[in-house]
Amino acid sequence: MLKRIIESSRLEIFIAAMIALASITTALVTWRASMAGSQAGDAIRQGLIDAVKQQASTNENWKKTYEEGGYAQTYAATLAQIEAFEKSGESAAEAQAKNLRQYLLPSLQLFSQNLTSDPKYLKSDGTYDLEQRFADLQAQSPSSSLDPEASFKAADMYGAEQRWLTMDIVLLAISLFWLAFAELNTGRSRLFTLLIGVGLYLISLTWFGVVEIAFLVIRGGAL
Amino acid sequence: MENPLQPPPVPVSGNDMQSQTPEQGQDKSADRYKTFIVVMTLITTIVTAIVASLQADANIRSNTANRDSQYYAVLVSGEVQRQGSKGSYDLNTMAEYLRLSQESLILQITALEQDDKGNKSDAAISDLMAAGAEARSEKVKSFSIFYTDPRYAPSTADGLPNTEAYLQDALAKANEYTEIQNAAVDDYRLWNSKADSYVSVLTVLAVAFFLFGLAQALRGRMRLVFATFGSVILLVSSAWTVLVLL
Repeated sequence: MLKRIIESSRLEIFIAAMIALASITTALVTWRASMAGSQAGDAIRQGLIDAVKQQASTNENWKKTYEEGGYAQTYAATLAQIEAFEKSGESAAEAQAKNLRQYLLPSLQLFSQNLTSDPKYLKSDGTYDLEQRFADLQAQSPSSSLDPEASFKAADMYGAEQRWLTMDIVLLAISLFWLAFAELNTGRSRLFTLLIGVGLYLISLTWFGVVEIAFLVIRGGAL
Repeated sequence: MENPLQPPPVPVSGNDMQSQTPEQGQDKSADRYKTFIVVMTLITTIVTAIVASLQADANIRSNTANRDSQYYAVLVSGEVQRQGSKGSYDLNTMAEYLRLSQESLILQITALEQDDKGNKSDAAISDLMAAGAEARSEKVKSFSIFYTDPRYAPSTADGLPNTEAYLQDALAKANEYTEIQNAAVDDYRLWNSKADSYVSVLTVLAVAFFLFGLAQALRGRMRLVFATFGSVILLVSSAWTVLVLL
């Protein structure tokens, strides 16, 4: 029975078909690995663009926060002066305080914007919560929805997929080696090498399927 | 002179090999290294696949490190800019406090001088202005990190703020990012250099492929010569790969 199989011309055709199949699978896996690499590159590019945009917006918000902080400080200092004048008991000082409170303070408040008008920014020591103001500006910023880290994670994911697929290519190359060896061999060793080649091919095919499905699931269906 | 090139080989089955004539024996002798060359070619294929996968891995690592170095460069520049705004705010606050406190002191001295000269009304005006400046300076002082933060506040009443500690702390975050960025740049250089080396190995392996192909097409001693050269190149390439890997 075994001898009949070994000597059969169909075995020759089967080996040739297996070599062709393994070659096509190698090409397919190489294409997928290349695609994964390309998508990783795209994700990195997107992440860097988002990072630059986000940083520019953050810089702008810090600048605005400290600008407002400076105006708020002037407002607070002027208010302290007015209060000192009001408590002085001097009629001229009280008159000055009244006019300063009526005409100057609203203008100063206008410069410092929400920092002096919104009580949530006023701290117990009479200063202003600049960190909170910055956090609010960041939340209002259009770039707050940008997430470069997410793009980098996606790039890492594609990179990992590319690595697994490249390892699969090595496995396919080894299976091709054994299949070609079966083509050269005769007798029982031909069958033995063929079995190794087919076994390795099936493992690499399963590997390819598992890697593709696993990463497809992790990415939520995105290729 | 015999043409060293030969037609493509015809597969020989096991039965044919058993009942061979002396001429067929010579053919077998001529084909002695054929299987060896095929095996060497296949080994070269595997080594090439392994080197290609190592190259792909080095390339991925190099890209990731390159990305990190650029990302941290953006963060460093942002941090430096933020620190610039903060530093400017903090120093302006301190300067304003010092200006107002000195102004208040000078106005108080002026009031005393005017009082000594009998100018009571002028002394009262100076006193009032001094009170205003003092109120402002005290308020601005409460905004100054150099007088409210125990890390930088003067240890004595007439002492100076610890600006050195402030500068060190101010640059700490940017320095931290710079260190990470430098490490990423080093990683990028390392993996990029490895990826380049693997490309060189692959190029040399292509030469091995060429030599084995040529050996397959030739016969006699030249076949062995080319096969030997191909094997040496394969060996050198493998050793080079190990060296790059380590």
